[in-house]
Amino acid sequence: MHGTLELIHPTEQWDCTPINFPVTHHGSERQFAGAELSDFMEHVARQLSDNSENTADGFSMESLSNEAFTPSTGEYRPRKLARTYHHTSGSDGCGHAEDLQWINGTQSENVSTMTYKNNRSNDHDQQGLSLITLLMECAVAISVDNLEEANKMLLELTQVASPYSPSCAERVVAYFSKAMARRVMSSCLGGTMLSPLVQSKSILSAFQAFNTISPFIKFAHFTANQAILEAFHQRDRVHIIDLDIMQGLQWPALFHILATRPDGPPHLRMTAMGTSYEALEETGRQLSGFARRLGLSFEFHPVARKPGEVDPAMIQTRRGETVAVHWLQHSLYDAIGADWKTMRLLELIAPRVITLVEQEMPHSGPFLDRFIGSLHYYSTIFDSLGATLGCEDVNRHKVEHWLLSREISNMLAVGGPTRSGDERFGSWRTELMRRGFAQVPMSGNSMTQAQLILNMFPPTHGYTIQQGDGTLRLGWKENGLYTASAWTSPRLLR
Amino acid sequence: MDITLQAPELHYFTLSQRQQQSHEQENMQNPNHQQQQHQLAVDSGGDPSASGKWAEKLLRECAKAISEKDSGKIHHFLWMLNELASPYGDCDQKLAYYFLQAFFCKATESGERCYKTLISVAEKSHSFESARKVTLKFQEVSPWTTFGHVASNGAILEAMEGETKLHIIDISSTYCTQWPMFLEALATRNDETPHLRLTVVVTAGAGGSVVKEIGQRMEKFARLMGVPFEFNVVSGFSRLGELKEEDFGLRDDEAVTVNCIGALRRVGVIERSEFLRMLHRLRPKVVTVVEEEADFTSNMDEFTICSEECLRFYSIFFEMLEESFVPTSNERLMLERECSRSILSVLACEGDGGGECERREKGSQWCERLAGDFSPMSFNDDAVDDVKALLRRYRAGWSLLPAQGDASGLYLTWKDEPVVWASAWKPS
Repeated sequence: MHGTLELIHPTEQWDCTPINFPVTHHGSERQFAGAELSDFMEHVARQLSDNSENTADGFSMESLSNEAFTPSTGEYRPRKLARTYHHTSGSDGCGHAEDLQWINGTQSENVSTMTYKNNRSNDHDQQGLSLITLLMECAVAISVDNLEEANKMLLELTQVASPYSPSCAERVVAYFSKAMARRVMSSCLGGTMLSPLVQSKSILSAFQAFNTISPFIKFAHFTANQAILEAFHQRDRVHIIDLDIMQGLQWPALFHILATRPDGPPHLRMTAMGTSYEALEETGRQLSGFARRLGLSFEFHPVARKPGEVDPAMIQTRRGETVAVHWLQHSLYDAIGADWKTMRLLELIAPRVITLVEQEMPHSGPFLDRFIGSLHYYSTIFDSLGATLGCEDVNRHKVEHWLLSREISNMLAVGGPTRSGDERFGSWRTELMRRGFAQVPMSGNSMTQAQLILNMFPPTHGYTIQQGDGTLRLGWKENGLYTASAWTSPRLLR
Repeated sequence: MDITLQAPELHYFTLSQRQQQSHEQENMQNPNHQQQQHQLAVDSGGDPSASGKWAEKLLRECAKAISEKDSGKIHHFLWMLNELASPYGDCDQKLAYYFLQAFFCKATESGERCYKTLISVAEKSHSFESARKVTLKFQEVSPWTTFGHVASNGAILEAMEGETKLHIIDISSTYCTQWPMFLEALATRNDETPHLRLTVVVTAGAGGSVVKEIGQRMEKFARLMGVPFEFNVVSGFSRLGELKEEDFGLRDDEAVTVNCIGALRRVGVIERSEFLRMLHRLRPKVVTVVEEEADFTSNMDEFTICSEECLRFYSIFFEMLEESFVPTSNERLMLERECSRSILSVLACEGDGGGECERREKGSQWCERLAGDFSPMSFNDDAVDDVKALLRRYRAGWSLLPAQGDASGLYLTWKDEPVVWASAWKPS
């Protein structure tokens, strides 16, 4: 429960005229000493997307024959030959990864330009970065359907990279190669149309751990709550529709502030959408109990459907009530269903405010785009966890394995995180704008909320808040990860 | 949209064209059809991993489907395993992951190639330091290997009582970690410290530099202990079955011991009888044999039974590893990866590759084999006391069990399951 964080009561009228804020950077001004994976990643990612068009032609389109995995390493046709990795088992492991030898002469030029800036002496980092390079080669192979070559590289990657390494890069490689191996296997099995299995209990537990060790979830919750509070200003009958409630960690804090509002508490209705009716009922019980203790008049409606699959008639809005719709985007499972149907639902509901928190990486598009985007994204998160927690930390492992690894698997899966092949919007913000929703800039109070959250995490950390285009973006070392924005329905503006 | 791959023509494994088409049609018309697909093995709605021990059930069904060549079911189970498996998760997930790999290779007949690649990767990426570190850490947290060492050392010391020139032929894979305590015992036991010649048998894979380092360390340690010491290496062959008496350069005045720790399983199944006869011809005073308690030999040609046994053994092993190491241990990860290679070779490779498969046999089975040329020696009280003292140093769950009936020797048990077998033999 977020007891310690107070939302701020708005004192002025809710203003939804869009203002273009200049992009400013807030948060700790730490000079980072290099050795950041994400830095290197950006550099290489750029290289890769520049090269990908060229290299794609360079691969022969080997059609898969009966010999799915034809003979051994002798006929391995690598663009480089990886020399010995000395696997470091333990924090004082010795040996260092020898440099990668490049067979193809032209590649060696790319290597030198890709040479990591600071040339840190840390052996683990060195090994991690060599592995990243192999990982990227593998991704290119997958993107051109050269599964045979990809598989060979994966056999190597999955045997060498450790998710417990002191090197964040190596941990990232361990999980990415696992995800890619899973994808290659599912490609071979061809069962792409089967709906994925969701291990709810472990996900929820890991989600809670993530909430504890990292500010991202709290950022999403509190900035959204602030925007909702402002939209509910002087309204007596309010209705929150949470498109993917999970355990509803977000809401107690908002309940508290609504219950103690100077102009008296509103009657609050909540429509909660989610994966399983049982889980929704449990969440409902928790929230109802909490509301009761606060003396808040509360109704809870569980809807065990995805927004993109629900019959709009099941979402009932009453005349005179103020509606807020909230969505925290993630890639743990497909929470939404068909994007365009969800958009239609939003248009029908015509809420006063839509609070949206998006992950800054492409959820759709070709595999390689998703690979590069998610590699950058998750490297950043892994870096942020590694900066604060030791490599033996059990919570860190829990989050990396049960949450982040799962998202990575979904991001790289055939068909992307929806796993269903539905068309996805590139960016919800863009789409909302296209459909005529008006952006409500995140207020100064929301910004204050965000900063308060960052203060909960020691100031030596590199979390950064960027404010721009009416949005608030929380990231690590200026790599934005989650963007919070708010929108209002076009119908209400008339 | 991604390029969805055409499943390659896999031996007896693809859905037939017609089956596949009808699947896709159904999926397009009825999105709820997807849910029905999972009813085959799902216990609780949507989350099959919610019930414990789900991996065993799923793997068992999958093995059955493979032996029945039911491609639809194989497809289905492999898909589910692929969804749920992870090499970094809990025991169920790990078993699922490594067995999935083996089953997939089995179904696509790519076991040998996959295994070769894995071996070459392992050789490239493991330095002497890292391998030794793993061994030592394992010995620190679990008596799995030290049990055999202590029992064998006890038997050797007893058999070598009064001898002045000892020649130990060591065929094992624990980087000579057995010998420091043996050297210590030699140095402290007798008034006149005997001379020890240690011959280490190395098959091609281990790498020359590794053995050299080991030799240097041993020589140093022996000097420290004041034990006259000689270190030899026998190498240059690819299979243990190729070994001959002449390779050991036996001398007339020495008392020979042959120490086989996890060695016999590395001898090709059909070569085992001859190998033991060869050992007999060395005229050893004692042969110590330590093996893991599993049978991958008698069921070599019966896939479901062999899978079942594999599953039984590795479930125990993985569980033991999980309880012995910290959750984020790299050493444990490396041991698990080693297991994955074993599982792959046993289940997905034809025959036993001249011993590469490491087809284990149980203590009772080895006893039958050894009975031809050897008779059992019991461990004396000192040796048994040493083992008991050893077990007390570890967490609860470990115990001793003397062999019953026709079998002889001593078992190490983990939660009352016999897991390692140690025995001593003299030529009859």
